[in-house]
Amino acid sequence: MKRRDFVAGSVALGAALAVSSGRAQAQSKPVLAGPLAPNPAEFRRAMSEFVGNATPVEAGLKLELPVLADNPGAVPVHAKVTLPITESQYCKELIVLAELNPSPLACRFRFSPATGTAEAAVRLRLSQTQTIHALARMSDGKVLIAKQTVTVAASGCGM
Amino acid sequence: MTKPPRVWVSNAKPAKGEVVRVRAQIEHVMESGLRTDSAGHLRPRNIIRKFEARLGQHLLFTWEPGISVAQNPYIEFTFAARESGELLMVWTDEKEALLEARKAIAVS
Repeated sequence: MKRRDFVAGSVALGAALAVSSGRAQAQSKPVLAGPLAPNPAEFRRAMSEFVGNATPVEAGLKLELPVLADNPGAVPVHAKVTLPITESQYCKELIVLAELNPSPLACRFRFSPATGTAEAAVRLRLSQTQTIHALARMSDGKVLIAKQTVTVAASGCGM
Repeated sequence: MTKPPRVWVSNAKPAKGEVVRVRAQIEHVMESGLRTDSAGHLRPRNIIRKFEARLGQHLLFTWEPGISVAQNPYIEFTFAARESGELLMVWTDEKEALLEARKAIAVS
């Protein structure tokens, strides 16, 4: 074999390998079935039930969670309403939605005028890489929304 | 639900209006109803369905966890200390088992 042929051949082989491994990565994303399958209908229902006729505002609500969740069985999620909280304007309700979990409504918090703040943190178990949404309803009817995508390292075991 | 809750309060003697942070964790299996036992039967769902925190007569904070909340549920919340009283936290699971924790809050 001539040196020129060898170089050209190995370049072609490398390119073919790169293409096939890229395809393998795209295909390796598992679609969860069975009890861990996502429930998009329930997600849309929970979202529209909370929002109602209001227009969600993407401000005033801070959602904090890791970008990479190395333990899918306990992902720390922290939500805080950053608007000023007074006796007349306070946060009534706050929900956390995990878009692709089998039960998307992760939890609901209720506050009262006596609370004086609107902040909570929990740990969630996530079935796969997905977006976490937080929605807050203020006493004047305003709905605040925040979301963040989290990459889940190991799938399913956390549930 | 045997072990007492672990509770941490940022300041048990806050100034009036100071924001107090509370962290609490209990031991609970939070059985989601999605897992099977070794024989292949679904384990019956049993999660904490309600958590309430009260200061004196005032209800400060309610938490309604779903099945996505992790085992041994951890909860952190804040409130503005307006009056002295006993901070009472109650966890209720789906077998109606109760777990309580109390902390005295003295506003100076």
